[in-house]
Order: sequence, then structure tokens, then C-alpha cells
Amino acid sequence: MTERANDLDLLARDIRIHVFREAAATARVPQAPDISRALGRSETDVRAALHELAAAKVLILAPNEGDIWAANPFCAVPSGFRVAAAGKHYWGICIWDALGIAAAIGSDAVISAPCGDCGVAMTLEVRDGDLVRSEGVVHFAIPAHHWWDNIGFT
Amino acid sequence: MLLFRDEEHVDQWCAVRDLPRGATITPEQTWRLADGWYRNKVKPDWRRHTLEETEALLSSIGLTSAFWNLRG
Repeated sequence: MTERANDLDLLARDIRIHVFREAAATARVPQAPDISRALGRSETDVRAALHELAAAKVLILAPNEGDIWAANPFCAVPSGFRVAAAGKHYWGICIWDALGIAAAIGSDAVISAPCGDCGVAMTLEVRDGDLVRSEGVVHFAIPAHHWWDNIGFT
Repeated sequence: MLLFRDEEHVDQWCAVRDLPRGATITPEQTWRLADGWYRNKVKPDWRRHTLEETEALLSSIGLTSAFWNLRG
């Protein structure tokens, strides 16, 4: 491994730890300029490392501008899957990730999500590590071995 | 992965989009999947699950049909 590649791997690890820690603590996913400032590294290096993390399926970049779309389970932009937990509001990109936020932060949570068909509001609740309020069914449209072919659709 | 009121709403969603039906599981199964998948994601020593670990997680939730086969 070249020195440059090794440095990028170490930076990617630091970025992973920073991004997920920030997302969990603040409900806000930091973007490249924020990460650059926090870690004292150039934005160019940060973006290169983010692409490495995306290639390793650690997080998901938005298709065009390359910003972080989701440090999954934490979605960087508001979505229909809202999670109230630890006095904050988080978003997930799907119901799996919305529940994953409760797991990742180890907190009780109330998850609000619309029915995918008719849009009616539905509520799930996690308390003390158990799902204590539940309604509806969860549909996986894509077979498991194709989940990452188009993760935005999955 | 979307939440639906019931199976009929899943059918309608698929029909409108001309998509084949996938698989439905309960919110309880989804919670157990999410918990196993994401519990350690924020920890500094997090690593991706191996294929075998993911298969064991799916199996522990009762997701054992061909739809959940990770090996293609």
C-alpha cells in the first residue's frame, strides 16, 4: 500500500468515527466542509475519503454533488421516517433505518412513518430495547442479494 | 423498505408501479433486524458484518426463504 493510500484509509476511519458520533449526538449529519474543519484536513482529502467510505458501503453519497445523503441509519436530510429520541428529531431513509437509529443510539424512540401506499401516518415505539408499539407490515421490494444494486430504491 | 397499513396496501403499491411483490415482515422482525444491523454502528471499533454473520442474523429472525439469500 502506498503512503497516500494508507493516509486515506486512516483519514476514512477518523471521518467514520466523527460522522457517526456527531450524527448520533446532534441528529445532524456533518458534511465535507464541517468534517474538514473538525479534523483539520483539506476538503479535497475529506471528499476522497468519503468516496472510499461510500465504496465500502459505510455511508451513502448523494448522486450529484457528492454530499453525504445518509450515514445510515442517519439520513442527512428530512424524510418521511422521523425518529423522536433523546430529546432530538432524527430521520431515516426507510423504516429499517428509522428503527436502526433507536438501536444505534441505544435510546427509547417514537418513529413516525407514512403508509407507503396511502400516506396515512403510522407510529412505532421502542422502549427499553423492545418494540412496544407496532402497526402495519414492512415490505422489502428487492431480494436481499440485490439490496446494494440501487440502495436509494431498496 | 416501506411501512404499509396492511398487505392490501402493499399489493396496491406494487400494482400501481407494476412491480413484483417482494417480501413482507412484521415491524417486530424489522426491529430485530435493525437492532442487529445497527447496534454497533456508532462505536469506533465498528466493522461490517461478515456474510456469515448477516446470514445468521436473518436466520435468527426467521428470514430463511430464497428472498433473503445473500449469495445470489
